[in-house]
Amino acid sequence: MKENIRIKSFGITLLILIILLVVTIGITATIGSASISPVDVYKVVASKIPGLSSVVGADSITASQYSIIWSVRLPRVLLGVIVGAGLSISGASFQGLLKNPMADPYILGISSGAALGAAIAIILKLNVAFIGFSGISVMAFIGALIAVTLVYNIGRIRNQVPVTTLLLAGVAVGQFLTAITSLLMVIYNRDMTKIIYWTLGSLSGKGWTPITTISLPMIIAMAIILFFARDINIMLTGEESAKSLGVNVEKTKVYILLLGTFITSMAVSISGIIGFVGLIIPHIVRLIVGPDHRILLPASAIVGSIFMVFADTIARTVISPMEIPVGIITAIFGGPFFIYLLRSKKKAL
Amino acid sequence: MIAVNAKNIVFGYSSTPVIRDVSFQAESGEFISIIGPNGSGKSTLLKTINGLYIPESGQVELLGKNIEEYKRKDIAKKISLVPQDTSLDFEFTIEEVVTMGRHPFKGRFEKEDAMDKELIYEAMEMTNTFDIRDRLITEISGGERQRVFIAKALAQNTQIMLLDEPTSHLDINHQIDILNLLRKMNQEKGITIILVIHDINLATRYSDRILLLKKGSIISQGTPEDVITTENILQAYGMRAAVERNKYTGHISVIPLEVNKRIRSEMNIKIHVISGGGSGQDLINVLYQRGYQMTLGVLNAGDTDWQYAKSLKIPVAEEKPFSGISDKAEKKNKEMISDTDFVVMTNVPIGSGNLKNLQMAADALETGKKVVYLSERKYDEFDYTGGAATSILSHMVENGLVIVESMEQLLRKLT
Repeated sequence: MKENIRIKSFGITLLILIILLVVTIGITATIGSASISPVDVYKVVASKIPGLSSVVGADSITASQYSIIWSVRLPRVLLGVIVGAGLSISGASFQGLLKNPMADPYILGISSGAALGAAIAIILKLNVAFIGFSGISVMAFIGALIAVTLVYNIGRIRNQVPVTTLLLAGVAVGQFLTAITSLLMVIYNRDMTKIIYWTLGSLSGKGWTPITTISLPMIIAMAIILFFARDINIMLTGEESAKSLGVNVEKTKVYILLLGTFITSMAVSISGIIGFVGLIIPHIVRLIVGPDHRILLPASAIVGSIFMVFADTIARTVISPMEIPVGIITAIFGGPFFIYLLRSKKKAL
Repeated sequence: MIAVNAKNIVFGYSSTPVIRDVSFQAESGEFISIIGPNGSGKSTLLKTINGLYIPESGQVELLGKNIEEYKRKDIAKKISLVPQDTSLDFEFTIEEVVTMGRHPFKGRFEKEDAMDKELIYEAMEMTNTFDIRDRLITEISGGERQRVFIAKALAQNTQIMLLDEPTSHLDINHQIDILNLLRKMNQEKGITIILVIHDINLATRYSDRILLLKKGSIISQGTPEDVITTENILQAYGMRAAVERNKYTGHISVIPLEVNKRIRSEMNIKIHVISGGGSGQDLINVLYQRGYQMTLGVLNAGDTDWQYAKSLKIPVAEEKPFSGISDKAEKKNKEMISDTDFVVMTNVPIGSGNLKNLQMAADALETGKKVVYLSERKYDEFDYTGGAATSILSHMVENGLVIVESMEQLLRKLT
């Protein structure tokens, strides 16, 4: 019999995780070529909050430190927080909804749709900015939405969406769109490097604009997903069982798919395709807090944030001043860990 | 009080009917088993009862109200379902799974209160899962998992519980264990139990009533004694069986004897049926179900058997209502008879109107055709012709008329 090491209280679990996240933000924002102490990071943040600015003296911080923290490090760290949270919560809810441990936020063709959209924008040199987004972001977002719409309509049988057909449709459409992207890269090989770099994912050099635009919609979407946490739990016992317990299964499926798609598309459009976060984090969190989505979903979001911020810190510092696309870091850490998970699962069987 | 009242339910997956015109009632506190061969529509019927499937016609009344007028969550407060598939790959504890049974009564972020806890604990006590409540659902045995899912349904605290083959993957000791538990719930808590089950002997032992389904129709319903008969088993399962009272349990039990392998070849056997006045209905039904090719006649238009044959699209040599058999009808009937392998007669009373039918059977026998006389039904009088019919019949007996007294005997002769 496996020992039950789960923490019973949802509140305590979340509190611990939030403290960890805040500490992580403080520490990672200090790591880099300019030396800054974590306390300074908190001071800078506090100085921006009306009412707190007079209490916390940010006078000891030099203007250049201030500028590095506020204009460079902090937006990047916070982008990592929101992207990591979004990918992890989407991954966790898709895994539950599809009852498939291999599900990730991209499983319904979002990544291949976004990649194709981004590739087209790069090739056409679309520079039209839309409410502060680059042409690449906008096209990636549109590509992702088109791909998922396609997958959903192929997978749908009348007004029902059987999980298996949905997954198969996701694989088929994904492969198809990836093939087109590859074809484009072969034809326009001048842009190949840029397209590949985009698909590997990065949080660098975005500034405040994307965060302020995507944060609110993403946070709202994540909050709505939490409303369905118990429905997802019950749907794990089987769709008919869930219906007999009063769960509106088809409606819940559509909402989760919509919200997850929206969150993931937002994240991808800004940061490119950062892999493994949405797949691995829910598995790790499930080991710690159990499969109850009422705690699994929020905990995944926070742990995803922490992981993302750490991965990005490694990405920008390890061969500084050069940057590694963060998607490579998440995969380098995620891949072996996933193999470890598979092996320990195999032992349990 | 009537817990479930199903009226003329028709249901089909995209137009092929899986349930055809099924009606039954479940009284509050009854223990009902639904049995029948694979693909007979048992599970589908169960899912129609709790509103998972909406019938194409007919309706289900739940505690006196049309089920379509209920909200999904309100149905869940009246009926619980233990599904056939209880697999669950996510590592919930037993208690967490049982707690899910309280879902219909809780708001989105509402926590379980003391009353919920009490129901959850009671459900676990009753199903003997309390001691394993902290273990994970992924690491317990099939029998335990079945009991956990029953506990979940119990925690739902409903008046009616439906179970879809709760014993199908279990060892014989666990099967009895589960059924004893269901009986305890039925007797102590007054829960109406409706379950789909394959094992006929378990069904007769535990049920107040049994519904026997075949191809989406109820072919018999009532007490185990009424439903589990040699004929019904043969008709439903195409299997010969002995039915007897078990000397240990005192319940009706079935001993399978021989699977009827002739069913395929029966497709090519042609039978002419001479009946009338409803005497042929069971016969026509049995022969039709088993795939024999049939003709009927001579029957008066409007006769009960005539109507039944028409509804099954069986060719009939027919005569105008309330008229004697004309030469034209007689000729057609003779053609039909000469084209068949067997003539089967019911012991329909013979009067001047249908004397020709008897005569035609006698003629057929004379020419070497096999004629079987099914004297299954009891009629006060056979001969309304003043002796003519009796004399023809006794002449036929001399010529080798085969007389059988039950449907099963008859089926054995038709080879």
